[in-house]
Amino acid sequence: MTEAAAFQTAMIEIIKVGKSYPPNVTALTDISVSIASGEIFFLIGRSGAGKTTLLKLLCNMEKPTNGLIEVAGMNIHQVTGNKLAKLRQRVGMAYQDFRLLTDRTVAENIAISMEVSYKKPQIIHNRVRNLLAQLQLEDKHDILTGDLSRGEQQRVAIARAVANSPALILVDEPTGNLDATSTEQVMELLIRCRNSGATIVIATHDEALYRHSTHRIMKLHNGRLDSLTRGDGQGRPNTAEATDDTEATDGSDDEI
Amino acid sequence: MNFWFSIFRQTGRNLRQTWTTQFMTCLTVSLSVLIFSFFYLIYLNILSAGDKVTDDLRLVVYLDEEPGPEMQEQLRLKISQFDQVQEIKFISREEAYSRFAEQLGDNHDVLTDMPTDFLPASIEVIPLKTLRSLSQIKLFSEYLATLPGSQKVQYGQNWVERFYYFTQLLSIVVLLSGVLLILTATFMVASTIRLTIFARQEELELLKLVGATNNYIRTPFLLEGILQGLIGSLLGLTSLYILFQWITRHFSGAGFLDLFTFTFFPPGIIATIILSSIVLCTAGSYTSMQKFLRI
Ligand SMILES: Nc1ncnc2c1ncn2[C@@H]1O[C@H](COP(=O)(O)OP(=O)(O)OP(=O)(O)O)[C@@H](O)[C@H]1O
Ligand SMILES: [Mg+2]
Repeated sequence: MTEAAAFQTAMIEIIKVGKSYPPNVTALTDISVSIASGEIFFLIGRSGAGKTTLLKLLCNMEKPTNGLIEVAGMNIHQVTGNKLAKLRQRVGMAYQDFRLLTDRTVAENIAISMEVSYKKPQIIHNRVRNLLAQLQLEDKHDILTGDLSRGEQQRVAIARAVANSPALILVDEPTGNLDATSTEQVMELLIRCRNSGATIVIATHDEALYRHSTHRIMKLHNGRLDSLTRGDGQGRPNTAEATDDTEATDGSDDEI
Repeated sequence: MNFWFSIFRQTGRNLRQTWTTQFMTCLTVSLSVLIFSFFYLIYLNILSAGDKVTDDLRLVVYLDEEPGPEMQEQLRLKISQFDQVQEIKFISREEAYSRFAEQLGDNHDVLTDMPTDFLPASIEVIPLKTLRSLSQIKLFSEYLATLPGSQKVQYGQNWVERFYYFTQLLSIVVLLSGVLLILTATFMVASTIRLTIFARQEELELLKLVGATNNYIRTPFLLEGILQGLIGSLLGLTSLYILFQWITRHFSGAGFLDLFTFTFFPPGIIATIILSSIVLCTAGSYTSMQKFLRI
């Protein structure tokens, strides 16, 4: 995806969004940000800052209390029925708590996101093999996900999120249980997805993921936007390859 | 193609996961089909027996004395004034006597001492086939009693009346068991599906999140409802057929079953019972599904 094309269209528009849970927990206050199509966007902040909440709003698991969220030009919280289903097929989310079906095999779990859009069994099969190979989980194909280690479950969750080649990939804490090599593999997978056109939002605590990248980083604090900066782009080889799209964007360190 | 592939696999999974509940529901459905169709079968057979009985229905008007030819003509006129009839037959005293003797068969010698005119003359009226309801027959007999010279009108009042009330009662039983069928089929299937949904809440929630359409989620459950209805009604009807075979084998030749031939449902009714059972079960599963999908 060329830089020009990428930044002509905003994939996500978040406008003055607030979210409070009953009875009176305010998780997000007055968040505004625009994320471009094809961008990798980091969401950081201390535990309880509201990262997961923001991702849930983006994938329409929760509705904002106020404000407006547009994904691909659509107000996602007004979409219902089959349109909503279609929209969700184009958004892949790796949940912080994984949400794997623990009584199904790894392959079945990854296949779910493709089955709902009626992909051919052969295509599903190949895609699952391919993803497992990228994450070095080939030997786990027929293992029940309930029997996997946390780190393996985490990678299966990510594989499911990207399997259907969604236009928007939301990843919540992707590397919490992973060693350095596995983390690298996950990031490589995500970058490959981005290179084939996906927009990626990553919520994380892991400084190693973003510190040396050149992607934009939004820091939340107590549900408020604390800072919006750009990584300095030093060090990490796997993110360095991704720099082609990120320079000269929107004045990076500004607050939109 | 891929849609149905996914749907069938999903349905197979459902059934494997919850087969005990599914099995119990199936049994309940088949039991209610059995109860309903049992009473319905009896009802239909009684009705057809009743048709045969009323085919033979005749009203007999006993007369004070034997009517002459003009009198006969007059009576004929009066009777057909009330209603058209199929046939009017005058029976003289002698005819009545010889009929009676014939009925006695070998024992007819008991009559040897009796005068040949000890039986009254009578008119036999065979009403039209359209005259069927009890109240119509009653009205007609009351009218016949007012004919000049009429002594008494007989048509097996007691028997006809009892038969009539019996069929009435039976139709109420059929109706009630029909309601039973509707309630059990719908509610049992609805609650089974609700249980299944509950057992698989997590998966269904996930399916929604990854963008499964309502049809994708709903169709396997509807298919389950169809299966419940189909298998349940087939089981119920098969057991009724076995019961029916057993009854006809053990009671044929004995007493009242001789009166009429006991027949099983015609194919049209069998198809209707199966179809409505399927429709009810599917409706049950649909309502449960709608509740879930609305959340
Ligand atoms: N369903 C809910 N009901 C009530 N409060 C909630 C709910 N979900 C989240 N919260 C609250 O909203 C705030 C933000 O939660 P959120 O899960 O978004 O934090 P987070 O940044 O993802 O934290 P972590 O890094 O620990 O995952 C927290 O104070 C949390 O307690
Ligand atoms: Mg979180």
